[in-house]
Amino acid sequence: MKFVAVIRQVPDGESRLRIQGDRVDLSGATLILDQMDEYGVEEALRLKEKHGGEAIVVGFGPERTEEAIRTALAMGMDRGIHVVYEGYADPVTVAEALAPILKEESPTLILTGGQQADWDSQALGGALAEALGVPVVAWTTALELEGETAKAKHDLDEGAEWVRVRLPAVFTTQQGLNEPRYPTLPGIMKAKKKEIRKVAFQGGARVEILEESIQEKARLGKILDGKDPAAAAEELVRLLHEEAKVI
Amino acid sequence: MPIDFSLTEEQRQLQALARRFAKEVILPVAQEYDEKEEVPWPVIEKLHEVGLLNAIIPEEYGGMGLRMLDEVIVGEELAYACMGIYTIPMASDLGITPVLLAGTEEQKRRFLKPLTEKPALAAFALSEPGNGSDAAALKTRAVRQGDYYILNGTKMWISNGGEAEWVVVFATLNPELRHKGVVALVVEKGTPGFSAVKIHGKMGQRASGTYELVFEDVRVPVANRLGEEGEGFKIAMNTLNKTRIPVAAGSVGVARRALDEAKKYAKEREAFGQPIANFQAIQFKLADMLIGIETARMYTYYAAWLADQGLPHAHASAIAKAYASEIAFEAANQAIQIHGGYGYVREFPVEKLLRDVKLNQIYEGTNEIQRLIIARHILAE
Amino acid sequence: MILVVLDHDGNKLRKVSLEALTRARKLAEAFGEGVAGVLLAEGQAPVEEARGYVETLYVAELGPYTAERWAAGILEAAKAGAKAIVAPSSRQSRTYVGRVAYALRAGLLEDTLESWAEGSEVYATRYAYLNRVTQKVKSAPPVVLTVKPNTTPLAEPLGQAGQVVALSIPPVPTVEVLERVQEEKKGVSLTEANVVVTGGRGMGGPEAFKQVEELAALLGGAVGATRAVVDAGWRPYSEQVGQTGKTVQPSLYIALGVSGAVQHLAGMNKSKYIVAVNKDPEAPIFKHADYGVVGDVHQVLPALIQAVKRLKD
Repeated sequence: MKFVAVIRQVPDGESRLRIQGDRVDLSGATLILDQMDEYGVEEALRLKEKHGGEAIVVGFGPERTEEAIRTALAMGMDRGIHVVYEGYADPVTVAEALAPILKEESPTLILTGGQQADWDSQALGGALAEALGVPVVAWTTALELEGETAKAKHDLDEGAEWVRVRLPAVFTTQQGLNEPRYPTLPGIMKAKKKEIRKVAFQGGARVEILEESIQEKARLGKILDGKDPAAAAEELVRLLHEEAKVI
Repeated sequence: MPIDFSLTEEQRQLQALARRFAKEVILPVAQEYDEKEEVPWPVIEKLHEVGLLNAIIPEEYGGMGLRMLDEVIVGEELAYACMGIYTIPMASDLGITPVLLAGTEEQKRRFLKPLTEKPALAAFALSEPGNGSDAAALKTRAVRQGDYYILNGTKMWISNGGEAEWVVVFATLNPELRHKGVVALVVEKGTPGFSAVKIHGKMGQRASGTYELVFEDVRVPVANRLGEEGEGFKIAMNTLNKTRIPVAAGSVGVARRALDEAKKYAKEREAFGQPIANFQAIQFKLADMLIGIETARMYTYYAAWLADQGLPHAHASAIAKAYASEIAFEAANQAIQIHGGYGYVREFPVEKLLRDVKLNQIYEGTNEIQRLIIARHILAE
Repeated sequence: MILVVLDHDGNKLRKVSLEALTRARKLAEAFGEGVAGVLLAEGQAPVEEARGYVETLYVAELGPYTAERWAAGILEAAKAGAKAIVAPSSRQSRTYVGRVAYALRAGLLEDTLESWAEGSEVYATRYAYLNRVTQKVKSAPPVVLTVKPNTTPLAEPLGQAGQVVALSIPPVPTVEVLERVQEEKKGVSLTEANVVVTGGRGMGGPEAFKQVEELAALLGGAVGATRAVVDAGWRPYSEQVGQTGKTVQPSLYIALGVSGAVQHLAGMNKSKYIVAVNKDPEAPIFKHADYGVVGDVHQVLPALIQAVKRLKD
């Protein structure tokens, strides 16, 4: 059994973003293993703990992505593969880069986050699945292995459904699937000795980012004192009705 | 050898772990445990789970073998969230250190291994109701009787004293010998005659359990003695030379928290038509805080480096401990000032910072004692 | 041709499909191409309505939705030579377009706010970094782009019915749908609501949400929840607004007892007006609010309900 988690490194959601010459400048930001992908790493670890086999982390991105791979190794993944690529790559390009490596590893299943915290992209799961010619279960909230198949619960636009899928398959992960463990101190120390194989990707992205800007919508910031709740509520409703005209 | 101020990748991961732990586990409960003056066992258990508790215990005894610089990195992060809660693992390390410095192989295995197998604490008992700074004037008496020492006396202000699996107690075999008469004994929890009374009403660091320990004809096996008779005082001093450094790290954490809270408030609070962060008076205060934080941190790293290199570090650790606690106290003080009236109420986090970090100027050797150590170093040359 | 994926509820096209049509027509005009639609259905589909908007309408009844079936349907329709495929943005579509884009090795422009052609390339704007950054992107054809709802004027019918072409889709390896868990539809859909009233951890418990529901109902809106509330089990995950929940853009967003964590803000910070009620004057939400009340939500909320009732009378 081989359980692969595909991860990326993204800025921490609470990091302050800066714009430098038309592009987002990440130099002041804290970079972390994407939380959505983290659910995938945790699931791979649980599956390995339950069924045996190997749990492999595959990271895509620039050199600094290695830190995120190490974090996954510190959580308990057995080994890592780093597909190195500087700059932006659209999901189709990322899937192209990872496909040969994943085909070579021939995993039981592949996990990756449902949405990426930097590009706000939700397509990698689908693109990877298409590249490997396997089904994708997006927004998974429960997963059970059944030998050649897996049973999973996942979200639809309205509601959720249970499906059964023949393995290998791609599952995209989200909150609710599991509670990711801490990379413990013993884990951090063991991770030092774990292998990270580096692979360079020579391809190019199909989508180009031309410009990035931060436009914080200026808010009115009218704050009322709620010590007299009735009066505050009255005033608020008046403002919403007469000024904002939304009710 | 070139100077390299960067952390290794492992140290960065350690820092990220400690920072995340502080934010997710300590920060949400810090105020509650401070108000209740209760020891946060759920936090201690979680610390053990992630491998951060008693981490200085070497690998051969089942520990993580963290070095002083690693401890300092962790300490700043945990103390950022709560100095009181950080004092708990810090004081446990304070109890572990004498065993590391003076224990036999057998003692190290016997005392240290259990602290790695489950969430458990150690403690260090030197101060007494009648003497703190004048450590050599201790009165707790040990009398040899065959294979035992009979221990009588009282220790005061002992962190973890009532929670610990065992406490390193410094007692005198003969008061006339002053420091040459001191012996270090490991007293295990539950030994008949040994009781702990929790001290209530502390100004700050209220999550840390501080105890008065009473010894009434407590029989301690000779096998629990660390080092030789008469070596106790040296063991205590050598311990404190090291353990001052994490205290300094904790102070840096508190100072950094004070700055972050003050910065946040200054950017949002408006007066005279603009955020108060625009005013020089506020900016100068923030700048002074950062001056203190950066210099204290760098010097604390230096003291930790000396300790890790096996180089003399007594005066360096004294400088770090005294300086960091003083800049931190001032940072907390100014953070309250920047908050104005809001800084004076419990609802805002800054008043607690001052209450907590004041103790850093007192325990593990008052800042006055630190200055004596530094002066001694100056005048020795 | 420019191919538009037309989303529907079995009986009529969804509003966002008409937005997608507007975007497709714009690209078609720039490239001198025609517009074809693809209407995929589990069972019933509004064929007569849909054919009024396109020259050619490809249809296929595929049985239960799966990403593989829908991708196969679109790819079959695209065989006629699609320069660009335009689809409404939804969780489901954002998954199957990943498949489609890979199959065509296309440039994928996700959840776009605007799109247009310049020269031979397709340009678009979209949000990134948890909805905090606006990006301008471009790609050469073939392009697959998804349309964010409520960004584009609705297309008008053409005035003549397009040709209907039935697609034959070969079976594809896919998941077996075992059981659909339809969540109890409580009122207005969150992503389409004009007013959203969200309760956060400050509500204190599930019982307090009765009043949140009452206020939402009075305003004709939907109920939202923060991650903390869903984690605590007080409200279902389908109500979660935020990075790992739904992104909403109502005219009015009322946040009750919500602290304003950035992951929550990512899901609602583009709302036209944001109102916050919180007892903590330092809560980050107030920095992002147009109107705020610093007070006890348990007292302010009932007062709000009364004030709204009075306004209606």
